[in-house]
Amino acid sequence: MSILYILIPIAMLFVCAAVAVFFWSVRSKQYEDLDREGYSILFDDPDNKKK
Amino acid sequence: MSAHLCFHCTEPVPEQAGFSSHIDGIKQPMCCPGCAAVADAIVAAGLSDYYRYRTETGKQQDVPPQLASLIAYDLDEVQQEFVAARGDLKEVLLSVEGISCAACAWLIEKHLAGLPGIAKINVNTTTQRAVLVWDSSQRKLSEILSAMAAIGYQASPFQVDAQELKNAKESQSFLLRVGLAGLATMQVMMLAIALYTGYWHDLETEFRDYFRWVSLLFATPVVLYSAQPFYFSALRALFSLRVNMDVPVSIAILLAYVASCVATVKGTGEVFFESISMFTFFLLVGRLFEQRARRKASENASNLQKLVPATAQLVEGNDSRQVAARTLKPGQICRVLPGERIPVDGRLLSAQTQLNESMLTGEQESVTKLKGDELFAGTVNLDQPIELEVLRTGADQRINTLVRLQEQAVAAKPAIAQFADRVARYFVPAILVIAALTYGIWLQLAPDDAFWIMLSVLVATCPCALALATPAALTCGTNRMMQQGLLVKSARALEALPTIDTLLFDKTGTLTEGRFSLAHTAILSDRLSENDALGIAAALEAHSSHPFAQAFLPYRRAGLRAIEARYHTGEGITGVVKGQPYRIGKARFVGDASLPAESIYLADQQGVVAAFSLTDRLRSDAGATIKKLRSQGLRCEMLSGDPNPRAKAMAQSLNLDDVHFDHSPEQKLAYLAALQADGKSVAMFGDGINDGPVLAGANVSVAMAGGTDLAKCHADLVLLGEKLQPVVDGIFTARATNRVIRQNLAISLCYNLLILPLAVTGHVPPYLAAAGMSLSSLVVVANSIRLLRRLS
Repeated sequence: MSILYILIPIAMLFVCAAVAVFFWSVRSKQYEDLDREGYSILFDDPDNKKK
Repeated sequence: MSAHLCFHCTEPVPEQAGFSSHIDGIKQPMCCPGCAAVADAIVAAGLSDYYRYRTETGKQQDVPPQLASLIAYDLDEVQQEFVAARGDLKEVLLSVEGISCAACAWLIEKHLAGLPGIAKINVNTTTQRAVLVWDSSQRKLSEILSAMAAIGYQASPFQVDAQELKNAKESQSFLLRVGLAGLATMQVMMLAIALYTGYWHDLETEFRDYFRWVSLLFATPVVLYSAQPFYFSALRALFSLRVNMDVPVSIAILLAYVASCVATVKGTGEVFFESISMFTFFLLVGRLFEQRARRKASENASNLQKLVPATAQLVEGNDSRQVAARTLKPGQICRVLPGERIPVDGRLLSAQTQLNESMLTGEQESVTKLKGDELFAGTVNLDQPIELEVLRTGADQRINTLVRLQEQAVAAKPAIAQFADRVARYFVPAILVIAALTYGIWLQLAPDDAFWIMLSVLVATCPCALALATPAALTCGTNRMMQQGLLVKSARALEALPTIDTLLFDKTGTLTEGRFSLAHTAILSDRLSENDALGIAAALEAHSSHPFAQAFLPYRRAGLRAIEARYHTGEGITGVVKGQPYRIGKARFVGDASLPAESIYLADQQGVVAAFSLTDRLRSDAGATIKKLRSQGLRCEMLSGDPNPRAKAMAQSLNLDDVHFDHSPEQKLAYLAALQADGKSVAMFGDGINDGPVLAGANVSVAMAGGTDLAKCHADLVLLGEKLQPVVDGIFTARATNRVIRQNLAISLCYNLLILPLAVTGHVPPYLAAAGMSLSSLVVVANSIRLLRRLS
């Protein structure tokens, strides 16, 4: 059971990372337009095509 | 009607229109030169992917982009209002008309990003806005706006609603709070499972305390950060000597947290970190829901507040220069070209001109003004270059007096008290008293349990479901209405709509289309067929901005172009089509004054060949809509500013209950007030600035999509599209919404009344209380979501 003393802090680190990523994504306004980004994969980027 | 549909906007293509564009190598039919030009521009820019991936069709391009009016956006004085400097670059937020799906956003971004001088363009499809950062030394704003117009999107700077600025800030921090609470709650719940199973299988005290400390760590940010809005709201209420729903919420969260902390430190008693976290999380989700709906409404409102750059040509001696209209002073002289708006109230110095005063009166027919007559700001000069002496500026202008009248009417409108607020006023003190009594009594019976039982009472009876009952249903109802073609700008309208018993309709632009269309063509000579006459007339009228010219728009043909076209002010147009000179215009202009004066005539060199009579056509579904509304026992009346008694005949053909015409905005408002004094609940439909005050005073106001921005700004509902029919569906949806609100209130009240005796008698442990509270909220939300699925 003493493994929990290592595993739970590791889990806490993961949660902290998740919270940090979430805060970053909200602050960089990725939640402002939820209808749009799903379609971006459909459009060819002419710049990439040339490469 | 032709079987072909326009490839760009999917409107039917008029017969023999002959417009087309080549898209991905295939010739596609186009309904009008506007759509064809837009499609060509899209293909030319290599962006034909738009047509492959779009999920909504394009907007019909019947309005040619008015480049001239865009140039005014380049003036520094005008830009001050809406442009932010970013080093060498400038940034502006634009409201873009015609964005319907993700493909539109892609199209605009790709098209603009290719232009030199544009640093960044970011289009948001949800808000229908674009952020543009550009280098003003390389490219003018007007050029960028016309580049957007070339692919079919009209963009303009707008005034951001004060409410929206506040909402945008709130919304982001709310999302952060919800996200944090959600992530932390998951962890605390996981540990709680270990702790609860520990009751049945012996959990070593060492690990129990360890789990408690970890739970404490996770619950702390939830209590200290995520739950902040509740504390502030509760404190604000207490400072103003009121109680609101957040008072028991805050007390419950803080007390449970402190007690659990004490238990953790001492290693005795019980902890309820999971209940606190879950409680906070679900409450926040409910609030987020409510807030999103409000945010959407204020964004819609903001998009309508377009900043129209009012500029004027100031004449000083022999010079004239472009200035911002607000810098004009009484006594100065300014020049207005044909097709331009009158910038300020003034007196006409030129001999005479024709004005379109539709902005004030709603009537498209032009009005003749003679030297010395007053001209009002916002009306459009149709005829010839004129000079006017500035009389009044700023707030004294006629248009502003109408705006003031409208604001007064808004202020006088009876506010519908929020049911949840009223309940909270009685319910919350009752909960606090009951919780205190419970604590007192249990202290006598079982001092150890008293504290937790009191907390259960506070949590379980929290009227959160009650608070959600109305906003959740309103949000879903609003979305449903949007799908039906009604933009809801104030949720209040949904509550008021089912109570409506009288509907007042403005005539021009509401019951009618508000623009001239061809009623009848008479061929007066055998030299031309009807089709050729229409095609030639359309080619000539393409050179005019007169309201009559729009009537010929559907008849334009690709092969027919008028050359050497000249616009004779107030008379007509001459031009050469297929090598033949033609004139089109009034009877006098074509050389035969004996013909009836109402029609427009087309003449070639030998004489008059065709007569066109133009009317403002009724909306196609006006009759059917009125019939449906009346069959539901609603009274429909016409309330028009048009002095022409033709209104009466129209009202009879529509089977309206009553007709009022030749009413000034003040008279309209007085009539409305008289109806309301009789106890009637009135919905007003209008489109013009002259309808503004009466729209504001009505119980529910509905503006037409094609209406003036002022009318749309202050209306509760805006009809999207050209049909009146959505109103009928809207009334059904509003009724359904109100039914759901009542069900929600009943569900949440029943829950609270049932759980109260159980909690008071100590049968509900805190985790069950939190679960019960959350469950009742979820049931209310689920019930509301049914509104979205209901098909009318």
